[in-house]
This record gives sequence, structure tokens and C-alpha cells, in this order.
Amino acid sequence: MAVVLTARDLTRHYEVSRGMFKGHALVRALNGVSFELEAGKTLAVVGESGCGKSTLARALTLIEEPSSGSLKIAGHEVTGASKSQRKQMRQDVQMVFQSPYASLNPRQKIGDQLGEPLLINTNLSRAERREKVQAMMQQVGLRPEHYQRYPHMFSGGQRQRIALARAMMLQPKVLVADEPTSALDVSIQAQVLNLFMDLQQQYHTAYVFISHNLAVVRHVADDVLVMYLGRPAEMGPKEDIYTRPLHPYTRALLSATPTIHQDPLKPKIKIVGELPNPLNPPSGCAFHKRCPYATERCAAEVPEFRKVDTRLVACHYAEQFL
Amino acid sequence: MSLLQIKNLNVRFGDPKAVPVVDGLDLSVEKGEVLAIVGESGSGKSVTMMALMGLIDAPGIITADSLNFDGKDMLKLSASQRRKIVGKDLAMVFQDPMTALNPSYTVGFQIEEVLRQHLGLSGKAARQRALELLKKVEIPAPESRLNAYPHQLSGGMSQRVAIAMAIAGEPKLLIADEPTTALDVTIQAQIMELLLHLQKEQNMALILITHDLAVVAETAQRVCVMYAGQAVEVGHVPQLFDIPAHPYTEALLAAIPEHSEGAERLATLPGIVPGRYDRPQGCLLSPRCPYVQESCRQQRPGLDPKAHSLARCFYPLNQEVA
Repeated sequence: MAVVLTARDLTRHYEVSRGMFKGHALVRALNGVSFELEAGKTLAVVGESGCGKSTLARALTLIEEPSSGSLKIAGHEVTGASKSQRKQMRQDVQMVFQSPYASLNPRQKIGDQLGEPLLINTNLSRAERREKVQAMMQQVGLRPEHYQRYPHMFSGGQRQRIALARAMMLQPKVLVADEPTSALDVSIQAQVLNLFMDLQQQYHTAYVFISHNLAVVRHVADDVLVMYLGRPAEMGPKEDIYTRPLHPYTRALLSATPTIHQDPLKPKIKIVGELPNPLNPPSGCAFHKRCPYATERCAAEVPEFRKVDTRLVACHYAEQFL
Repeated sequence: MSLLQIKNLNVRFGDPKAVPVVDGLDLSVEKGEVLAIVGESGSGKSVTMMALMGLIDAPGIITADSLNFDGKDMLKLSASQRRKIVGKDLAMVFQDPMTALNPSYTVGFQIEEVLRQHLGLSGKAARQRALELLKKVEIPAPESRLNAYPHQLSGGMSQRVAIAMAIAGEPKLLIADEPTTALDVTIQAQIMELLLHLQKEQNMALILITHDLAVVAETAQRVCVMYAGQAVEVGHVPQLFDIPAHPYTEALLAAIPEHSEGAERLATLPGIVPGRYDRPQGCLLSPRCPYVQESCRQQRPGLDPKAHSLARCFYPLNQEVA
């Protein structure tokens, strides 16, 4: 299978002002993430707010330049690429945002919004663009008369269909979806998720699916990357991660997710405290202050992101959960 | 006598003949009971509770055969009489903790305000009680938090403060409107545990408004499922999840990714909730229901007391199993 997206040690640091007389503080929003993604596959990125999921999305979609590390899209290196090369690459990565209420231009008709990527990136005539837009609208379940309508005339689910259609117009190799269904109701979420799966099958697009909802991730993902405070905690095939999580954070996350049919034999893992201040992250393993298994070593040494069994884990004691 | 007795509650906005936002709702809550109200956006869950709290202003029109809380008719109370009850015996926790607190006052002042208004405490006694309340909601370093402003707290902490304010008057009924929707899963688990712990300890009734069925399955004793302003099914946990009687409940459950494990596609309910202009003449679900019959299109079903759980359906499901 063709690898369409490769990230090596991707980092993104922000300087934060602390007032007039103090130096700048450094927030390591993204701190060394590496992965490969093949065409037609889905990598799900999960974690709580502030773990760097959205920073990763912004780096992957070339909205922001990574501070260091390498990013290859369809075999082309992004860092150091010229402006015109970047413009080319942007056709290959598209994004669907969380809120369909904020990501569509309220003053532009749906047809025009969907046609804009073609207008900018191709030399198609007006009639050809219109034809392509209408074909895509049909594919995502919009009716032809919607072409002339404005975003406010649509429900949240329909708007997310429009946002997805817009992202797919150029048939990108990679689609980054940042919490695409978290603003939707369950029954609408199911419709939109099905649409995501259908389009992936047809166009063989690789998805980076960012979500905090582990039930949704279990449905869509092939591989799962769990992040904590800018660092990867665990990455591997979906089934392995869900049936036998090795990182204590993954275990806590899975255990905290409510389910309809609880397994009475599985005790709930209680996790205390909240996400630490990213300006002043704990020493050693970033999770050690909340981890029920933490030892002195965890406070001193940053665990390496290493291969254990079928996946990569950043925990000194991953083996004991095998 | 139930703690809360709602009979035939209707809430309309603007015109007295307008389509009701809450349509003929019957509901009762016993002392010390945990009742969940689930439904999608716009189904009337929040408006019902706001009507009870007296938070609906003109042009809202509330009518009910009875809206009794703790032996008092909430519709007949004067504003000053209602103020004595709301915030003391009847308290509410809102969805977004960041906007529920007043940004200009310290946390301590806001909690003490409840104590001053409802319990007549002042000075040191109020301070002492506020500190106890912060301890009760498990806020770390409560002494220093008393002087903190809301912007200095995280989302989870703010929600804890909001809960402390709500339980300050030792309410008989606590209404929690999507209390964890804005929070991360591990924090959600902590807040739900805290709410249930307080509910048991103070033996108060808890109404949990949510769209997350999994949260309901883990916490509630009874569930009311709402659709387009009507209660479509009222039943006990876990029966309602195992053998739903109403087709809408069944569809909601099927749409959760957890239920389609291993399947390519999620089960969906086609279409969207009817709006004010396309409200069907018969059963409100009839345009979307997979089991629809001719009679469903002609007449509105009532809540059928013969079914194993109260369901607003002519042909309730799973009757032979129950």
C-alpha cells in the first residue's frame, strides 16, 4: 500500500508572553509525533483537550509550520518547500472542522463554496465546475436545489455534509477531520459517519480522524494514536488498543468512557486530578502525577516511545499489562 | 405524593396557537430518585426544566394542568415566593461552567451569596460553610480557591464550584442540564461520580438532562426519552436499554457506534426532526419510523400504559419479550 502521509518527530512550540518583565515561556504543544498513514486507512488521534490533537491537525494541513521534524505528503517533503510547491501540496490535504456553523461562509451560496476549490486549483470551465459540484452534492446526500441556498438554511448535519463535500472536491489524498461529529446529535452523527466511510471507500482517501469520543473512534479507525500533553502515549492497531491497552492513560481513558452495557467484572479505574499546566509540565513522564502505578522512576525519567508487543508505548512499565 | 408532578405541560413561544416546544409532557419524580431526560437538540429537554424553574420569559407561554413541586404549584407562585424556592429546594447546574459563574466575583463570594440569600448566614459562618462546600465537591486546596476568580479555574473545577453553589441550600431536587458535555471524559467521570455521591449522601432527587445514552445507562434509575417536544418513552434502566418499546428509542440506541461493533455502517434513522412547518398530523415520528402504519399517519398516539414501559406508540416493540 502506498504511504501518503509520513510524520517524523513533528514538533510545534509556541512562545507565550508572561508580561513585561519576564522572558517568554515555551509551550510544547506538539512534542515529537511520528507516524505513517497509507491510502484508504484511518488514523484516529484521541486525547483530552490540550493534548495537542488540534495542533497536529494544523501542522498536517499546512496551516501552521512545524517547529521541527519532517512531514511528507504523498512523498513530498513539506519543510523547506517553496510557496508554489506548498500550494500544490495543499490540494492533497484537506480538512473538515469541528463546528459546521463556523466553517462555512454565511454569505456565499453552497454551490459557489463547493466550486471554489475547483476555481482556484483547476482550469475547468464554469459549466464543468457546476457539473462536478452537483455530482458531489448528490454523493453526500444533498438535493440539486440546495445549490442556490445559503448555509443558514441547513441543519448541523447537512452543513457537515457540505463541509465534507467541499473537502472532497479536489479528491485529496489525505483528509484531516478535527472532531467532525462532536457538535452533532447521535442519530445525525451516525449518518455523517456513514458518509465518511462511504467516501473513503470510493476515493481511497487516507483519514486522520481527531476525536475525543472513543466509541466513535472504535468505529472508524484502523490505527489509534493516544496523545497526552503533546506527546504520544500509545499507538497501534485499533483492536489491540481497545482490547488490551498498555499505557495507563489509555486504560484510564477507556475505563472512563461510559458504555450502555457495562462489564461488571471490569472495575472502573479512577483517575485523579486534571491535565497539568503545559507551561510547567511535570518532570519525567507527563502522566506520572495522575497515574495510579507511578514510581520514582516515572518522576525522574521521560519514558521512551518504544515498541512493545504490536504497538508503540511510552511507559516504563508497559510490559506488566501484557 | 411525588416530589415533582408535571401534568400536561405545554410551552409555546409567541403565538398561543404556535407549535408547542414542549407538547403535553407528563412526568413525575420521587424523592431521592435519579431520572434522566434524553433527547436530541431541540427536543424540549431544557425548556421543560426552565419552565419548572420559572426561567422562561415573554414571549414564552407556559400552560399545565399541574406543575407541582414539593406540594406547591409553581405556576401560581409570585416572583418573590418562587425566589425562596429556586436556588434552595430546587437548584440547577448548567452545561457550560465557564459561563455559569460570574467572572467579576470570587468563587467564595458567589457561594456565600447563596448562603446569605437562602440560609441567612453571614460573615465567618458563611465563609466556613463555603469552605465546607468546596471540600464536599472535592476541590483541592479549597482555602485558596475561595479567593480565586472563575477564570483561574479549569472547566472541571468551575463545574465543581457550580455544583457547590447548587447544593448550598441542600436542595430536594437538583437539575443537572448536560453537566459534563463541555468536559473531557476523565473529568466527566469524576463529575458524574461526584453528583451521584452527593445525590445519595443528601438523598436528593436528581434530574439529569443529557443526550448521551451511555451516561444515562450508568447513572439513572428511570429515563424519559423526548422527541420533538413529546415524551415518547418513560421506562426503567436497564429495561429501556435492553428492550426499548418505542421505535425512536430503538433507533437512538442503534445509532450509537457501540452497538454496531464490527459493522461497516452504523444504523441510522433517515431524515431529521420535524420543524414547526412540517409537523406531521399523526405520530411525530411517522415520517422517519421504519414500522409506520397507516393509522400512525392519521392519529397521534398517547402514552400507552399497557406497554411494558410507557411508550407513545400504537405498535410498541418488544411486548412479547417483556
